[in-house]
Amino acid sequence: MSHGGNNKLEKHYWVWPIAIYLFLGGLGGGTLFVAGIFDILYGAQIPQFGSIFALGVFFGVVFLGVGSFLLVFELGQPLVFLRVFLSGTAILKYGASLLILAMGFALIYSVFYLPAEWNLFYYGWTWLRQLCCVCMMVAGLGVCVYTGVFLASMKAKAFWNTPALPVLFTVSAISTASAFLAAIAGAWPMPAELALPAAGAAIESHALVEPLVENLHFIDSILVIAEIIVLLVYVLMMRAAGNTTAKAVALKWIQGGYALLFWGGMIFCGLLVPFLCYQIGGAAATFVAPVLVLAAGLLLRFMVVFSDQRRAIPGEERFYARLPKGNERFLKGWSKPY
Amino acid sequence: MTRYAMVMDQSRCIGCQSCTVACRTWNELPIDIIYNPVVSEGVQGEFPNVHQTFTPLICMHCDNPPCTICCPCKASQQDEDGIVWVEASKCMACKACVNSCPYGARDLSAYDEFLHSYVRKCNFCKDRVREGEQPYCVATCHQKARIFGDLDDPDSEVSQLINKYKVERIFPELGTDPQVYYIPDLGGVR
Repeated sequence: MSHGGNNKLEKHYWVWPIAIYLFLGGLGGGTLFVAGIFDILYGAQIPQFGSIFALGVFFGVVFLGVGSFLLVFELGQPLVFLRVFLSGTAILKYGASLLILAMGFALIYSVFYLPAEWNLFYYGWTWLRQLCCVCMMVAGLGVCVYTGVFLASMKAKAFWNTPALPVLFTVSAISTASAFLAAIAGAWPMPAELALPAAGAAIESHALVEPLVENLHFIDSILVIAEIIVLLVYVLMMRAAGNTTAKAVALKWIQGGYALLFWGGMIFCGLLVPFLCYQIGGAAATFVAPVLVLAAGLLLRFMVVFSDQRRAIPGEERFYARLPKGNERFLKGWSKPY
Repeated sequence: MTRYAMVMDQSRCIGCQSCTVACRTWNELPIDIIYNPVVSEGVQGEFPNVHQTFTPLICMHCDNPPCTICCPCKASQQDEDGIVWVEASKCMACKACVNSCPYGARDLSAYDEFLHSYVRKCNFCKDRVREGEQPYCVATCHQKARIFGDLDDPDSEVSQLINKYKVERIFPELGTDPQVYYIPDLGGVR
């Protein structure tokens, strides 16, 4: 799947499935990471604390699963997919491994929080839950970082080949995950009361959720500001110090075809407005901010994936510009399948 | 040891695209795949002091190829003689190599069979080369602008040309160590 006709310089080899995959990978991985951190911080005092984010973790697995499906769907020969683990040097191999580990550990972790009345035998295996919690947290963070490293390792792509991209993607991933977890915290299967270690003691679970959501809003406020800074530094550095191709792409973001999406969509609607919503609180923070933050995360992945220009060899632009256009249907009918 | 490399003598290339057509014919390439275009920035200068330089392109068969490093399936591989090639049956077409190649030497055809699309690239006609013949583009070039040979053999024509002339490589600053050398039309020693 690629867009752009015969002109190799204009062709996008990775398109919408990869953009969505990168977004869902970041969101899913970030969800596991943030939920894992909270469980480690509070799980010792309140053993069932993880149930507050259990549905979020389960959705994290679903996001990673859908992302992985899109990654395979986008392949030219999907049946060869199992060879992905063969090379020791490919970033993609490590990404695929991290995705599988994150999904596996998170699935086991979330199963521990199924309703107590189901009487599943493994409720007492706290060590396994804690092990899964740590593993899913590490693998989740790994997936977040990997989505950026994956693109940044592409030597030919002037706008991607920078260490700033993994930083941007990681901040965005954890920001979207915090927004998502704040929106879904306290949903089923959280019980009405969470037992405390002292015999017979319990705490009303909804009393915990509210300050927790406020904490998440505060964390996301900081992440949103951090994302604005990283994003501006990334794009402006590309404009100031990139090679000619990177400069041209950065210019497209700042004042060209992507300017409205960048300034209006991402910076203003996707980051500044959610920050204000978090400060206002109430329905704005609960309903508006998460939607905008998630939309900005998706928009960021789309804009980056489609900013894949390669530095042209002198004369290449002229060569490809002179190739015939608009004859794709004829050629398709005329060509035998190779 | 053998290390295959190619020298492009731009002072000899007239931009006839014979190599391009020969390659497509020999390798039976789909209509949308070009391994070795000959590009030019057009006529430069002001009459009567005008000139046009042609740059024959091809996979650079780099010594440090980013395309093989990023291939998770080990479909993109480099042989001991330096030839970089793709084993189609092992390629899942994730396009990581296409996106990592700074020379645009890799591509996929839109006309491949559904679910059987793979990455294609020049392999220096390795089957011909290992039988002692020249790559088809080299054998076709009537201007002798493409010169192919073993860089580890000091008596080979490529070794002697590279030692004799001030040769250039494309994007050497990227650290890929490309093994296609250009004798520039203008600004060179001859």
